[in-house]
Amino acid sequence: MLRMDRDYIAFHGNLEQLLGKVESGEMIPKLQASHAPMCKFFTTYYVISGIRHVVPLVHGPTGCPLYMSDFVRTRECCEIRGIPLEPTACTALDESHVIYGGEGKLLEAVKEAYAKYHPDLIVILSCCCSGIIGDDVESIARIAEEEVGCRVLALRSEGFGGDFRSGYEDAFKVLLELMEPPEKTMKGVINILGARWGPTPTEYHYDLDEIERLLHEIGIRINAIIAGGCTVEQLRHAREVELNASWCYDWGQKLGDLMQVRFGIPYSRTGQPYGLKATEEWLLGVAEPLGMEREAQEVIEKEVRQVQPEVDYLHEALAGKTAIIEITEFPGPIRALSLARMAEEFGAYPIVINVHPYTVKERMPSIKYILETGLNPELILTKGLFELGSFRSSKETEDELEAIVQEYEDPIFFGNSGRFPPCPVVNLSLMNPSYQPHYGYNGIKNLAALVKQALEHSALPRSRLFRGMLYGSG
Amino acid sequence: MEAGSIEEAETRIRPSMESCTDPYLRCAFYGAALTALGVSGSALLAHSPQGCDYLVNNAFAAQECDYIETMTLCTKLCVDEIVHGGEEALARTIREVKGLPISCLFVISACGPEIVGDDINAVCEMLQPEMQCRLIPIASAGFRGSQYDGIDIALDSILKRLSSQDAEKVPGSVCLIAPHANANPTWPADLAWVKQVLSRMGVPVVATLAHRTPISEIMNAAAAETSIVLSHDAGQKAAEYLHDAHGVEPICQGIPLPIGMTNTQRWLLALGERFDRLKIAEEIISEGEQMVMAACRQKWPVARFLYRIPAAIVADATVGIPLVRFVTEDMEMTPALVALYTSTRSVRDLLAQELGSLGLSPEVVYGTDVYKTRQRIRDVKPRIVFGSTIERHASEGVPVAYVVEVVRPMRQFRLIDREYFGYTGILNLFEAVQNEWTMAWRSKEKRYSAKW
Repeated sequence: MLRMDRDYIAFHGNLEQLLGKVESGEMIPKLQASHAPMCKFFTTYYVISGIRHVVPLVHGPTGCPLYMSDFVRTRECCEIRGIPLEPTACTALDESHVIYGGEGKLLEAVKEAYAKYHPDLIVILSCCCSGIIGDDVESIARIAEEEVGCRVLALRSEGFGGDFRSGYEDAFKVLLELMEPPEKTMKGVINILGARWGPTPTEYHYDLDEIERLLHEIGIRINAIIAGGCTVEQLRHAREVELNASWCYDWGQKLGDLMQVRFGIPYSRTGQPYGLKATEEWLLGVAEPLGMEREAQEVIEKEVRQVQPEVDYLHEALAGKTAIIEITEFPGPIRALSLARMAEEFGAYPIVINVHPYTVKERMPSIKYILETGLNPELILTKGLFELGSFRSSKETEDELEAIVQEYEDPIFFGNSGRFPPCPVVNLSLMNPSYQPHYGYNGIKNLAALVKQALEHSALPRSRLFRGMLYGSG
Repeated sequence: MEAGSIEEAETRIRPSMESCTDPYLRCAFYGAALTALGVSGSALLAHSPQGCDYLVNNAFAAQECDYIETMTLCTKLCVDEIVHGGEEALARTIREVKGLPISCLFVISACGPEIVGDDINAVCEMLQPEMQCRLIPIASAGFRGSQYDGIDIALDSILKRLSSQDAEKVPGSVCLIAPHANANPTWPADLAWVKQVLSRMGVPVVATLAHRTPISEIMNAAAAETSIVLSHDAGQKAAEYLHDAHGVEPICQGIPLPIGMTNTQRWLLALGERFDRLKIAEEIISEGEQMVMAACRQKWPVARFLYRIPAAIVADATVGIPLVRFVTEDMEMTPALVALYTSTRSVRDLLAQELGSLGLSPEVVYGTDVYKTRQRIRDVKPRIVFGSTIERHASEGVPVAYVVEVVRPMRQFRLIDREYFGYTGILNLFEAVQNEWTMAWRSKEKRYSAKW
């Protein structure tokens, strides 16, 4: 076991204890100056860009949309996800608008955007500039909607106005305005909530594809993946479904709760489908409320039979091992906790390292839900996590990880290949599509393959080149 | 409101067509960060909400900074700082870097803190006595203009605060300005070619503003006898300042940058004449032209099969204007559309001069955005486009056979920097055309499956 007198340990306990320290302020949930997550504007944009034929109209200077335009639109959407080039419109505010206000220009811009792009929806996104000078984007949206042929919504998405999470949640919330009163109930149909087409580093489409595949096998149909490439038409009919579910409890929770409270649509609360148990829970969590439990059980049995060799292998490979799990920034701590559960399922003892108090604060409802489900893994936070500077921080946490691993018997590391602990490394980087998805039964196959690679090749030399690149050659 | 026909809506609303833009250029804040990150031995502090830090990260990559050496920080302003002011947060963050081994900390401010009136100059002045490093504030809110305006703003602040008034002139020397205002995604190779040429001519480079530039070079910038602006988009103001304040003579002005045979020849001759190194310039030209011709003879670039096909150039002025002659003369295509990101007087004059000299009258769009580009490509129907990945996707549905990606963003990854300037630059551009031609010819599907 880890010796607690190590001076690099900042916290050692379990998830519940860390949550307590964050809630009481004993562990300050603030990132150092050299670590900046996305702002509210970015995350709002991620959600909105997940609707087809939408114009996100950025009411601000050109810097705000440009990052999104390059990264989201051109590289990720067009190049990787096969989405046509969609506009990233902007009012390009300058100094005179900052002094005299930009509402007039915004109104013109909405009309112009409609004339140019013929969209199904225009969403005005305010930035720091327009937010501070007090441009009334909501009123402009209302006025503009009278003059164009599509819905016009407004979102207060000033970068300073909240953390990255608030952007996602506010964007999901505004989509409720598009959901029309139901004319009927679509039997056996659900919405998947919490997706963002915007390619955040926390999700790729493979996991959603696996969920869709399994639901299709059961006979459950999807009205809309909100907002993972859904249409405005699908959003209009979103209240006609029998149930809402989420690909990830964390991201779907806010919209699921809102739709339940406001529209009375039940929301299936389940964790991420990593491993056998969590996948079964996810599927039954959706199928049972729809009265399709029998069909789901049949699919589960068939799928389990197909992955039995991999399941047996994972039991054999992981039994008695200590699974050191480190997924800090990408793809995020909720995945780390889901993996901890899976590791435990296959007989390993999970220890999650370096979940920053900041992310605990940001994901408080989800962390509490995870605790309610009985998952409360051991956690270690090291001092390097709080080091100033991305290089210093990563170098120090690498050194600490290497030291921690040596203190456990039979360790196996679940993280990414940028780490060099003296033990088998399971490369869970989502940047490697050849072993995607990680969700569901296909995920079990992929994770088993990754564990096998790690164990069978652990004696091979690691790259001195990559190590020097990441942590310096000294 | 019920959706009416698009034609009806268009007739009814009649918007002024300049309120809604889909820009190519980033904001002034990005340009300032890009410039400041060109100074080595420094760190950069963004006084901004956390999202703006992503522009800093982007600038960090564009300047090819090393995260082992250069640290970036952000005050991560929230509602509290916007309502009550962020000067305290700024002071606190500056103090956090006290122990860093840097000679300079650039403090760049974004839209939010500038609108609420944070005085970054005063905060830096107040804290300077307790800091080991120099504090250089740069007021560079995004709303101050485009990334090129940001480059000019930052160069102005840096030169005025750091360049020494009494630097002793280095005879026959040069100061290179704004090499980073260049849409070649690996522009440091262009700078490297310029430095190589100057070295061969025996012309010392006193300072480069800015790429991996030690602060001592900037302090000594006024010692240069001449300056060369390596961009048609930014840097001219810095050259004017150096001229007016320190008598640094701007040279190689009013001619396109050295992309293609004729432009390179002209640029090298201008350099040779100014420094009385005409013979060396002619040697470089002769060797370079022979090398290019030999390489083409050995490799047979397919650009020669594209004789006089209508071409579009969609780029910054730095790459775009010199490409006009290169595409016309060296590749024997015919520019039918030239769409440039900027629209300054000097850009218009230079392009007009080039078009006049070549006898060309293509469709020209200054200050283009993605929408205008797409519309013009539809109207003009070029068969080849020199541009970026954006034009590849913007050309969908239009019979454009080839989109040669030469400016950022580009899908082709380059681990090795490739220049467009000079003679190897010509081969790099030919290579880009060749690869695009190969991809365009590649069959999209197999007609049948093999048996084995």
